[in-house]
Amino acid sequence: MIEVKSLRKVYKLSKKQMLKNNTVERKKVAVDNISFVTNKGEIFGLLGPNGAGKTTTLRCISTLIKPTQGEILVDGLNINKQAEEVRKKISFLTNELKLDTHFTPKYTMEYFGSFYGLSKREIEERTEYLFQEFGIDNFAYTKIEELSTGMKQKLSIAVSLIHDPELVIFDEPTNGLDIITARAVMNYLQKLREQGKSVIISTHIMSVASKLCDRIAILIDGKIRANGTVQEILYKTGADDLEDAFFKLYNNVSIGEKI
Amino acid sequence: MNKNLSVIIKKELKRVFTDKRIVFTAFILPALSIALIYSIMGVALGNMIEDREEYIPKAYVRNMPQKFENLISNEPYNDMVDIEKISDDKELENIKEKIKLGEIDILVVFEKNFEEKLKNYENKEKPSIKTFYNSSEDYSSDARFGLFNQLFSRYENMVIGERLGNIEYTSAFNIDIGSEINDLVDEKEATGKGLSFLMPMLISIFLFAGAMGIGMDSIAGEKERGTMATLLVTPLKRETIAFGKIISLSIISIISALSSFIGIIVSFPFSKAVLGGDKDMNLTNLKFGASDLGKLFIIMITLVGIYVGLICLLSIIAKTVKEAGTYITPVYMIVMASSFMNMFSNSDPEMWQFLIPIYGSVVAIKNILMFQLTWTHVLISASVSVVSTIFLIYLIKKMFNNEKVMFG
Repeated sequence: MIEVKSLRKVYKLSKKQMLKNNTVERKKVAVDNISFVTNKGEIFGLLGPNGAGKTTTLRCISTLIKPTQGEILVDGLNINKQAEEVRKKISFLTNELKLDTHFTPKYTMEYFGSFYGLSKREIEERTEYLFQEFGIDNFAYTKIEELSTGMKQKLSIAVSLIHDPELVIFDEPTNGLDIITARAVMNYLQKLREQGKSVIISTHIMSVASKLCDRIAILIDGKIRANGTVQEILYKTGADDLEDAFFKLYNNVSIGEKI
Repeated sequence: MNKNLSVIIKKELKRVFTDKRIVFTAFILPALSIALIYSIMGVALGNMIEDREEYIPKAYVRNMPQKFENLISNEPYNDMVDIEKISDDKELENIKEKIKLGEIDILVVFEKNFEEKLKNYENKEKPSIKTFYNSSEDYSSDARFGLFNQLFSRYENMVIGERLGNIEYTSAFNIDIGSEINDLVDEKEATGKGLSFLMPMLISIFLFAGAMGIGMDSIAGEKERGTMATLLVTPLKRETIAFGKIISLSIISIISALSSFIGIIVSFPFSKAVLGGDKDMNLTNLKFGASDLGKLFIIMITLVGIYVGLICLLSIIAKTVKEAGTYITPVYMIVMASSFMNMFSNSDPEMWQFLIPIYGSVVAIKNILMFQLTWTHVLISASVSVVSTIFLIYLIKKMFNNEKVMFG
């Protein structure tokens, strides 16, 4: 479904940003020559600490930002040359994307649904299904500003799925969610996989990665340090669990830098 | 693209017009404030004018000639001034002090033996009159240059009439007597000229102010809140989002300006003196034809384009609403300055003035109100505005496609 080939993303830092990052380098390499593929009917995870390059990678795939080098194909479509076509097939969800709280869930679904070329009937059917799935149906006509945090987050997910995308990109899916909502989201991602969708998530939480993901790429300092199923990673690193495996890789990177 | 564009425009307008707070602060409150402020200003100005017209000045006179005293004691001047005679020169300094303080309006000092010298005019010795007044005090200034100028002129005619043997001989010719109308003013143009003093500036400022607050929130605010990014992950073209914002903001700007104008019109019975310089101005004299309205519409629409373009561009560059405010405020100052600059000009506009964006449009509006704007002027001014707007839209599109601008 997704082919990432030698992706590299370099940011130019302003003087303010250089001071903030405590660096004299004018450029920051957020993602450094990474490659991976994801398949349909699979949940692929990008696992790494803050600043590893996970969000940058997902933003590149979702066409929000352009790679500095490399190529990304989503279902054969080039994200640079066919950005709008790519966006029709994907949904991108992150805590940073918000909904206008002045409107109701129903209006919001209609609004975003119209951008994907859905007919009124299709929007209604998808809205009904997603609202039931996420328990929003009783709040369809309540202004978003009056909804609880958990309900707002579930609505954000519902809105991003209005067009029944083939690829779901989810940046930190359980971030800021209460335990019940987090479980509901994870269950829904598994459901999407069973429906044959391709799901790619980023997370820094080991338990989420190991419970949810079919395959994982561990990202540290912009590079993929390990890629495969949980079992393959454990075998490669000689670790007992994913957390151990991560720290072994992390320590190798730190030692390598010191050398 | 058209369907998506109309969806965005409808949503932007719905966002504004279904929010009671925004409707009140952006449309109702400005109209009410303007109606109230201009009414109060108009009433105050009217009262001030009336007060000056009805005021009886306090005058002190030294060595007043008898004939002058007779003149001032009879109709029509006897009710127009309160005269005190001074008997001693020692009082003069004290009176001058009181004039400085505004307690007395004018001191008139005739030369000693004034009438004697008038009679001996063949000696070519002209007697003199000295007046003392305070130009910073309205009553004093009015007394000196209004009433007493009239009195001196009348007195002089009396004296010359005596010398010639008949007061009729003091007037060598007649000017504008008879029932024929001499003032060939077009009432429509006169009323328009009165309005053209303040109205162009007000139109310009209302259009900008109407777009400013909502524009900053609609773009910089959405970036800050994260709702802009939600739009950017959809298949929408960036240009569609940009155009949707620009068109909806233009509509809001015009409606906001209209509501401010309703405030002006409501205040008009009281504020005529402030807005048009004449409290007796009759608005019904203003008969705009379809051509005049067409010109006004074109100039205003194209001016809105520049304003909305500027506000959108600066808002998209800013990371927050506060930052957008710091960029837009100096632009607002420039808009106000451009609007003020032509206020006091009465000469015919030069062609080059219409080539200056914003300023040219304000000049055009002023001349539409005076019924002097030609279609050539309209074409030049509107073209400049359209070209400026196209350039701004090009920059806005670039910004919408710039990831550093959109995502920091």
